[in-house]
Amino acid sequence: MSLLRLAWSYFCQRIILPMASLGIALGIGVLFTVFAVFNGFLHEMESSIRNVSGDVNVEVPRESPQTEEQYRKWFTQIEGVEKAVPQLQWFGLIGRRGSRAVDDPRTSDLSGIMLVGVDSTELDFGEINGELPPMQVGAPLAKKLGLSIGDVVEIVTHRSSRGQPVPTRRSFRFSAEYSTGRFDQDLNRVFVRRADLASISGTNPEFSHWILHSKDGISAENLAASVDTHFENLQLNRFDFPKIRTWRSIGGNFLRAAENQKGILTVVFGFIVLVAAYQLIATLLLTVAEKRHDIGILAALGASPKRISGFFVGLSLVISSIGICLGLLLGWWLIRNLTMVESWLGGGEPIFREEIYKFDHIPVAVDATMVGLMIVVTLITATLFSLLPAWRASRTRIVRTLRRR
Amino acid sequence: MNDSTSTMHPVLLAKNLSKSYRMGSGKLEVLRDVSMELHVGEVAALMGSSGSGKSTLLQLLGLMDSCDQGSVLLRGRRIDGRSAGASARIRATEIGFVFQQFQLIQELSALENVLLPRRIARGMSWFSVRGEEKRKAAQLLTDVGLGARLKHRPNQLSGGEQQRVAIARALISMPPVLLADEPTGNLDRQTGDEVLELLLRMARERGTAILLATHDQAIADSCERILRLEDGCLVTPGPADSLDSPEPPPEATAPTP
Repeated sequence: MSLLRLAWSYFCQRIILPMASLGIALGIGVLFTVFAVFNGFLHEMESSIRNVSGDVNVEVPRESPQTEEQYRKWFTQIEGVEKAVPQLQWFGLIGRRGSRAVDDPRTSDLSGIMLVGVDSTELDFGEINGELPPMQVGAPLAKKLGLSIGDVVEIVTHRSSRGQPVPTRRSFRFSAEYSTGRFDQDLNRVFVRRADLASISGTNPEFSHWILHSKDGISAENLAASVDTHFENLQLNRFDFPKIRTWRSIGGNFLRAAENQKGILTVVFGFIVLVAAYQLIATLLLTVAEKRHDIGILAALGASPKRISGFFVGLSLVISSIGICLGLLLGWWLIRNLTMVESWLGGGEPIFREEIYKFDHIPVAVDATMVGLMIVVTLITATLFSLLPAWRASRTRIVRTLRRR
Repeated sequence: MNDSTSTMHPVLLAKNLSKSYRMGSGKLEVLRDVSMELHVGEVAALMGSSGSGKSTLLQLLGLMDSCDQGSVLLRGRRIDGRSAGASARIRATEIGFVFQQFQLIQELSALENVLLPRRIARGMSWFSVRGEEKRKAAQLLTDVGLGARLKHRPNQLSGGEQQRVAIARALISMPPVLLADEPTGNLDRQTGDEVLELLLRMARERGTAILLATHDQAIADSCERILRLEDGCLVTPGPADSLDSPEPPPEATAPTP
């Protein structure tokens, strides 16, 4: 430690050492940014899935004999349920009135969507004018169909009639636009009033799902287990038993794929650290060779081999610490100016297109644990990789070294 | 020569030192059975032609190299044959060095070069005393006439000034023994005389014993005693009686760092 001043002097006066720091800084900066974007993407995906599905999603069997009141009563009996919201989900096709699509389903103007029926108390449908029922449409879909607020929208679907599907068509008024920021969801879901959807679909009861929100401190998995137990205790018959899923299992494959990607990124991170460590070891070996005479002076003045080793480990830590600090600053700057950087890299065009990456913005979330891990791993690696140069330095023969000059 | 030195206990004592180097299949004997002593505050010159073994003897006495045979005693305790760490500790605290080629670290200022032995010797505890140490180093540099050049780097100083820095560095730990290997060898006559005078004055003020290797008779004449090396043998050894009785000297008589 006492020779830290000398290490700092070396650092300031030998260009090769700041260059080594710069190498580490670039690695750390890029990794910091990539991890922040990746975490942001993952968090927003999770939050988006959770918003749509609730903590626990209960899918009611078709033609269930149980009433809405009966389900409400059951859910109030389950500990951990903060709120239970009924939904009716139904598939259909959507097109703007007047477009060719409505009369000619071969055209691409017609979009397949999921109609989500919710109560007016749960969603603001905006100002409703005229006789037509209101509809809330996602911004990308509205853009795709060329819709403006107040336009009439045609829905083509089928209604259930004695087990036979009967084609039906109904007009809605585009009353409000929404945006969750998640492109695919905003493109594929439209919200209507549950009673309106039930009248089209002819379903009874007027719900297909229950969205359950858990109380604070209760995990989705625990709530799902409680719901499952409750329904089992009711001894419902096999066909009447609802399908119970957590938001995580609904996200299922996608979230697992994202987690796998995170693992792969960590491995890539390991390789980047190794490359940085390799250049560090090369730099330190070069420094040992270049500063052999100084090492001889230190030894002549009483520095033990252990102290000389410590000096080079310290020098390595100076280089890597500065690299880490610069890298974190660079990473922080990058995530604060991602849009500008994206535009610059793409020559004015966005690289992260919402059609591919699902979001209309680049989500960012800094994971403190990951950053901490990155710092610790870098410091440990820097220490380990400085051991060989440090050992070589400690073997310096004083007499031979001082005589050589 | 100072006759009184023979009655005092030696601060540094070498007994029957031999050193040889391998030269291919043969062996080059550099020192043969060299015995000598240096007393507290004594200034002795070590003379000899080039290749006579002066530098090698200083290196053995300063624990920079190990001897094949013999022993070295510092203030009565044997210091040769120790581990690298233990030898380094002794070099850091009890032996000062002044080299012909100054051996300053170019990246450090004059003040930092002078402080270097203290930083090495104190390790972590240096942080608690650095203010005091800095004042001491600055005072030493002022004493050698470089009070206005504390922050100058070696390459901004002349040869004579660099050697003054090296002298201040050698004395910062207040070692009882200072080994100087041709300290004026790289300087012109006038500067060399000034540096030598400074070295002797400062060592005397601090009671530091000096063994000064030189091949310059004029320099040797300014010392209290002259030891001559010829072909690895000391032809004018110290008094034989003191060599036979290496009793521990009273530590209080020697300055401690």
